[in-house]
Amino acid sequence: MTIAIELRDCDLSYPAPHTDQPEQLALHIGHLAIREGDHIALLGRSGSGKSTLLRHLRSQLPYAASWCPQESSLVPQLKAFHNIYAGGLDRYSGLANLKTLFLPSAGRKAEIGEIATALGIDELLWRKTDELSGGQQQRVAVARALYQRKPLLLADEPVSALDRQQGEQVLTHLLGQHTTAVVALHHADLGLRTCNRVIGLKDRQIQFDTPVDQLHEDALRRLYQ
Amino acid sequence: MSGTLRFFSQRRSLRRLSFYFALSALLCLALADIEISAPDPGRELRLMLAGLFSPRIADLTQWLDATLTTVAFALQGVTLAAALGLVLSAFYQRPWARRLAAGLRSVHEVFWALIFIQVFGFTALTGVLAITLPFCGTIAKVFGEQLEEIDQRPASAVSPGRGGISHFCYTRLPLALHAMRNYTAYRMECAIRSSVVLGFIGLPTIGFHLETALRTGEYSAASALLLTVLALVYSLRFWFRTRWLLVLVPTAFIARPVAAEWHGANLMRFLWECVPAPLRQDWPLEKTQRWLGWLGEQVLAGTWNTVLLAQVALVLTALFALLASPLNSSHFVSGWARRAGDGVLLVLRSLPEYLLNFIFLIVLGPSMLPAALAMTLHNGAIIGHLLGRHSDEMPAPPVPAGPLGRFAYFYVPTLYQRFLAYCFYRWEIIIRETAVLGVLGIPTLGFYIDSAFQFMRFDVAILLIGVNAALILAADWLSRRLRRQFLLAPPLARPALQVESAAYRRPLPGA
Amino acid sequence: MRYLFALLAMLVSLGSIAADNQRPQFTFTAIPDQNEAELVRRFQQVADYLSAELDVDVNYMPVKSYPAAITAFRNNQVQLAWFGGLSGVQARRAVPGSEAIAQGYEDQFFKTYFIAHASAGLQPAEALTDTLRGKTFTFGSKGSTSGRLMPEFHLREAFGKAPGEIFSRVGFSGDHSRTIALVQSGAYQVGAVNYAVWEKAVDNGEVNPDQVSVIWTTPPYADYQWTVRGDIDRQLGAGFKQRLTRALLQLENDSILQAFPRSRFVPADNSVYRAIEETATAIGLLDEF
Repeated sequence: MTIAIELRDCDLSYPAPHTDQPEQLALHIGHLAIREGDHIALLGRSGSGKSTLLRHLRSQLPYAASWCPQESSLVPQLKAFHNIYAGGLDRYSGLANLKTLFLPSAGRKAEIGEIATALGIDELLWRKTDELSGGQQQRVAVARALYQRKPLLLADEPVSALDRQQGEQVLTHLLGQHTTAVVALHHADLGLRTCNRVIGLKDRQIQFDTPVDQLHEDALRRLYQ
Repeated sequence: MSGTLRFFSQRRSLRRLSFYFALSALLCLALADIEISAPDPGRELRLMLAGLFSPRIADLTQWLDATLTTVAFALQGVTLAAALGLVLSAFYQRPWARRLAAGLRSVHEVFWALIFIQVFGFTALTGVLAITLPFCGTIAKVFGEQLEEIDQRPASAVSPGRGGISHFCYTRLPLALHAMRNYTAYRMECAIRSSVVLGFIGLPTIGFHLETALRTGEYSAASALLLTVLALVYSLRFWFRTRWLLVLVPTAFIARPVAAEWHGANLMRFLWECVPAPLRQDWPLEKTQRWLGWLGEQVLAGTWNTVLLAQVALVLTALFALLASPLNSSHFVSGWARRAGDGVLLVLRSLPEYLLNFIFLIVLGPSMLPAALAMTLHNGAIIGHLLGRHSDEMPAPPVPAGPLGRFAYFYVPTLYQRFLAYCFYRWEIIIRETAVLGVLGIPTLGFYIDSAFQFMRFDVAILLIGVNAALILAADWLSRRLRRQFLLAPPLARPALQVESAAYRRPLPGA
Repeated sequence: MRYLFALLAMLVSLGSIAADNQRPQFTFTAIPDQNEAELVRRFQQVADYLSAELDVDVNYMPVKSYPAAITAFRNNQVQLAWFGGLSGVQARRAVPGSEAIAQGYEDQFFKTYFIAHASAGLQPAEALTDTLRGKTFTFGSKGSTSGRLMPEFHLREAFGKAPGEIFSRVGFSGDHSRTIALVQSGAYQVGAVNYAVWEKAVDNGEVNPDQVSVIWTTPPYADYQWTVRGDIDRQLGAGFKQRLTRALLQLENDSILQAFPRSRFVPADNSVYRAIEETATAIGLLDEF
C-alpha cells in the first residue's frame, strides 16, 4: 500500500510563547508511516502532543491535507455558508471568490447545501456564525474541512463539542469522505469504533501504534494513567 | 486605591517621562515669544460677540453651494482615502507600504493643496486629492494595525495561505471591518474640518467665505458659516451610515465630478520649477552661496520656531485635556450636563484653529501665545473627549470620595497611561498644524512655505515642505520609541492611533 | 425613494453639464484686496459690461490670495486680471508676452498710509523718524504693493535696515482691512495700509480717530492695472486685445467706476511698472540674490 507520509527521528516542539524563549520538546518520533487508507485515531491525555503532531504533519503537506482545527476558528462576521466556502478558496479564481461573497451561484449553494445537510446544519447556512452554538460552530468547521476536498484529513478533536451519538455520526461521515485521515480524539472509544488504526501518545513518545482490532485494553488503560 | 499605588510605585518611569516633557515645555516657554502686548481688544471683541448672536446668511445660493462642496470634498476624499488606505493596509507588513503611508501623512493637506493648485488649478480634483493623500496615509496605518490585531486563527484554519485577495476578503477583512468602519466615521469628521480649511487657501468650500468674513470683520456672516460647520460635524452621526452612503457617495461623484481642466504643459513647468533655482538657471557659485545662506536661515529659524511652538502647545494641550475630560466622563457628569459637556468639547474641536488663533491674536496681541492656545483648545478637546469616553469603561472608584478626590486619586492614575498614549499620538499632528498656523508673524516653517508659494519659488517651497515632513517623521519615530519604552503594558502595547479609533464610537440608536 | 433620489441627483448634474455653453469663454480675476462681496459686486458689473461690448461670455473668477490670482493667470484659467503693481510684475514675468493694458487714473500716483495706534504716541510727520524704532509693525499681504513692497522699500531707504531690525516685531496681517483692525485693537502699534481702503473705512465710520490715525504718507507710485495674456488673440480671435483695451478705456459707467473707486481708466504698458520691478528686486522679493 502507498505511503502518504513518513516521519523518521523527529523532535517536535511546542511553538515558544515568546520569541526569546527556547522551544520545549513535546514529542519524539522514531518512525511513523501513514499509509493511504489509514484512518488513524490519535489518543492520549491533553498535553501529550497530539496537536503538535498534527500541526507538524500539516506543515509537511501544506496543500494536500484538509485541516480541521481544535478551536472552530470561524470568522464570526461571516455567514456559515461563507465560512464553509472559505475552505474551497484555492479552487476558484479571486474574482469568483469575491462574487460568491455577495452573490453565490446556484452551483456553490447546491454543493455546500449538500455538505450541510449531511451534518444537519442546512438550516443555519445563512446565519452569522457568532449567532451559533458551540456545537453548531464545530459542525460548520467540519463542513469547511470537507469542502477543502483533499484526500487526506488532519483533524484536531473535530467533534469535541457534540454529544456522543451526534459526534460519532459526524465523525463517521467525515472519515467516509477521506481516503486517509489522522484524527486526534479525546474519547478513546469513539476512535476505536470509527477508525482502523490507533496511535497512543504519552511521555513524549509513541506508546503504541496498532490496528484497532489488535489493541490491548491494558495498553489503553496505561495511556490514561 | 490600587490604581493610585501602581501610579506611585511601578509607573515611576511614567512620572519621569511626564516630568521631562513638562520640563522641556517650560524651557521652550522661556525661549518662546509669548509676550502679551497691551492691546485694546474691546471693540473687535464686541463686534465678534454681536456677530455671533446675529448669524446671517448673505447669499443663500452661495452658502448652499459652499456647503455642498465642503461635504462633497470630504465625502469623496474619505471614500477614496479609505479605499486606497485599505489596499495599502493589506501590504502593511512590507516596509515600502509603511514608508509610503508615513510620507503621505507627513505633509499637511494645505500643502498638498498648494502643490496641486499649481497643476490642476482651483478645481475639485485639487480639493479631493489634497484630502485623499494625507488621509490615505493615516488610514493605511490604522487599518494596517487593526489587521495585525485581529484573530489570526481563521486565516490559518483555511489553508496554509497562498495569501491572495480571496483569503484577505474571507478570513481577515471581515474581522477588522467593524473597527475600520468606526475609524472611517471618525476620519469623516476630520475631513469636513480639512475641507473647510482648504477654503482658506481658495478652494470653493465654506472656508473660502469664512476666511473672507473673518478677514473683513463681517462676524454675522462668519457666525452663520461656523454654525454650518458645527451642524455638519454634529449631523454626521445621523447620516454617515452604510445605508445612506450607498446613495450619497455615488451621488457625490456624479453631481460633483472629480475633474480638472489641466494641461501637461502646466505639470511639466511646475515640475521643472521644483528643481532648485541654482541648478535650473545655472547660477554662478557666489550667487548660489547667497541663496543657500538665505535658505538655510529660513530652515533654521522655521524649524526652531516650529519645535518651540509645538512643544509648548503639546504640554498645554495635555494639561487642558486632563482637566477638560471630566466634562465627557460618566464618573463626573451625567444626563444633560454630560451632553452639554460633550457639546462644549465638540464645539472646541470643530472650530478651525485659524479662527481661534485670530481671536486670541486680537485679545493677546501678536506672539506665539495665540497659536499655542488655539492648538491647545482644539487638540485638548479631542483628547479630552476620547479620554472621557474611555473612562466610561472603568469601574466605579472603590472608595467613596468627592469629585476632586476621585479625580486625583482614581481618575488620573487609572487613565494616565492611555492619556500619555493619546498625547504622543497628537504630537505629530500638533507639529503638522503648527506649520499651518505660521501666519501673522510667527515664522514657523509654514510661514516660509507660504512665502515661497507667494513668490512662486516652488523649489524653495518643496524643500521646506520636505524639511517639515522630516520633522514630523522624526516626532513620529520618537513617540513610537517612547511609547514602546514607557507604555508597553499589555493593553497599551497597541499603538495609540488604534486606541483612538477604538474609543471613537458613535452612539448607535437601538443598538 | 432611494433610487428616486439618486436619479434626481443624476439629472441635476447632467443638466449642469449640458448647460455648458457654446460661445467663446473669457474669464478674468482680480487680486482680493478687500471685502469679497464688494469685489463680486464690482467685478460682476465689469463682466456684464465686457460681455455686452465684446460679444463673448465673460466670467469673473473670485480668488483667495494674490498668488492664487497669479497662478490662475499663469495656468490660463483666466486671460485677464486686475493686478496690483507687484502682482502684475510677477504675473508678467511668469507669462511671457503678457501686457499691462490699462490702469486707473488714480493708480498713476498711488500711495500708502502708515497708521498708528494712539498708545504708540507717534505724531504725523513729513519723514520716517527714529520714533518708529522698537515699535510693533504689521504689513498687509506678503505680496501686496501698497501693503508690503512700497512700505518696506521706504523703511529700508530711511533706516538702511530690514524691517525686522527696525521694529521689535513684524507681522503680515494678510489684508488691508485686517491691518486696520489689528492696529485699531492695539495688537500692532503701527501698520501700512492702502490709502484707498483706509479712506473708505473712514467714510464708513469703521475707524475710531481717537485710537488710530495716519502718521506718514509714502511718495506716489504706480499701482493697480489690467494685465492680459499675450496669447489672448489666438484664443479669442484676432484683434481681441485691441477691442478689450478700447472697451476698458471707454468705460464711463459711473456705478462701475465708483465701485473701484476710480474716475476712469487710462492707457498703461509694461514700462510704467519698471520702477516697481526694480524696487521689488532691490528688496529681494523677485528671484535675485
